[in-house]
Amino acid sequence: MIYTKKVMILARKELKDSFSSPLIYVLCGLFSLMMGWLFFNYLIQSTQMTTTTMTQGVITPIFGNINFIFVFLCPLITMRSFAEEKRQFTLDLLLRSDLTEMQIILGKFISNVAMVLFMLSLTLLFPLILSFSGYSDWGVVWSSYLGIVLSVMAYTAVGLFCSSLTDNQIVASLLTFCILLGSMLMVISVNATNNYLLALIVQYTTIPFHYEGFTRGVLKSYSFVYFICYLVFFFLLTLKSLQSRKW
Amino acid sequence: MELAIEIENLCKSYPGRMALDNISFSVKKGSIHGFLGPNGAGKSTTMKILSGLIPETSGRFTVNGKVGFLPEHPPVYPNMSVYDYLKFVFSIYAGAVNESRIDEVMSKTGLTDVRSRLIGNLSKGYQQRVGIAQAIIHSPEIIILDEPTVGLDPVAIADIRSLILELKKEHTVLFSSHQLHDVELLCSDITLINRGEIVVSGAIETILGSLKTNMVLKARVQNFSDEQKKKLMNSFAIDAVDVAHDIEQKNTQLKIATKGKADIRAELTRFLVAPEIGLLEFTEERGDLEDLFKRIHE
Repeated sequence: MIYTKKVMILARKELKDSFSSPLIYVLCGLFSLMMGWLFFNYLIQSTQMTTTTMTQGVITPIFGNINFIFVFLCPLITMRSFAEEKRQFTLDLLLRSDLTEMQIILGKFISNVAMVLFMLSLTLLFPLILSFSGYSDWGVVWSSYLGIVLSVMAYTAVGLFCSSLTDNQIVASLLTFCILLGSMLMVISVNATNNYLLALIVQYTTIPFHYEGFTRGVLKSYSFVYFICYLVFFFLLTLKSLQSRKW
Repeated sequence: MELAIEIENLCKSYPGRMALDNISFSVKKGSIHGFLGPNGAGKSTTMKILSGLIPETSGRFTVNGKVGFLPEHPPVYPNMSVYDYLKFVFSIYAGAVNESRIDEVMSKTGLTDVRSRLIGNLSKGYQQRVGIAQAIIHSPEIIILDEPTVGLDPVAIADIRSLILELKKEHTVLFSSHQLHDVELLCSDITLINRGEIVVSGAIETILGSLKTNMVLKARVQNFSDEQKKKLMNSFAIDAVDVAHDIEQKNTQLKIATKGKADIRAELTRFLVAPEIGLLEFTEERGDLEDLFKRIHE
């Protein structure tokens, strides 16, 4: 109980900090502009295509785009987490306090995910608009949202790890971006092999492969296992990175 | 004597460099202990080890009580208000917020007037106070301050100095400084470190006393002739007498360096108090820390 209380103290402070800086609002504006534009285009297109359903013509592509855009935006949100603390010499303050390293990581993780979810919540307007036209396939919409939430959690975990490696925010965001994009490109590069088993294994390790199931409304238990493992793995890496100052 | 900090054979090595080489010293409970040394001597490294930020390579140290630490750069969030910041620091230590304790610390460190201002907008002197406030907010027994007066104006330095004296009532203070004047005014004990090795450690009076090989006395008299100078030189074990006539004040200043360590002050005053000389002032020039610093460099 006290453990989570201390995590929340840090998370609250981080959130207050982030929402008092202009970065999040700039990103929100950019994000809703892009998504609104894309949504509008897909909607116009779908009126001309009589063979596809609303789900195939609007929902699936728009969620694909949201996921892709977060690959760019998540690094920008997470880059300051540890890099800024190091630059201000305040990381020592946190490490000297009664907070454990894991509590610090969790606090930062929760606040960063909350910020991304705040951005994501702006897209709730799209299903609302669709509902006026009699759209009723809500299962796919909510499973897509679940997929997005799990994906951004994974992106945030990577971002936290990269931010803990350096005291330069630009380096942190570029590194996060490289790792995320690199793992996305793995899906494409397995096309080069004829080894079916290898292709399956590599595919399984990438986020888009698991996310894709969610956008079709298919909830696979192994996808949940994958995301949990992904988070735990990067939390441990971040933990080691924070502890490395004591090596 | 109860000890607050005890360090034995502490070593810290970085690849290719020995930052601390077998240092040992102790800090008495309830004292203000000065930690001196040139830049890069290992002061900050020692303080970081004592506050648990970095591990020691070898050796042993015991710290009897909670530690409050002010690093070289005060660890503050520039876009937080003073009150919010102290509340945050308090809660990551205690898990709960005690508003009266925060108010108490703010009034002790003179921050009450700026409680709702952003730390980034405060002057360096105030930021340093916020740094000290975060070091004492969780009521530690021992406070470690790394160069608390560096880069401040004389008024701010005087403020911080009186704040440190105030802290002595409830805490043990270990602080490093380049301001030798501060150290002489505040500390009862000092430790001198150079290139990762302890040069000397102990009570400030003993250390300054041991510095002196001879005594330098300063006197101001009404009249002093060459004859009297000769007489003075002949009757006492004196190395040199420097006579300077002060035209403005219409009297004469003497600087007398004695031979050896013998205390001849009583005899000298008896000589100088004669009516034809007329003694006005008589002081002993103390060896100060500046001499000590110069000697380390030699």
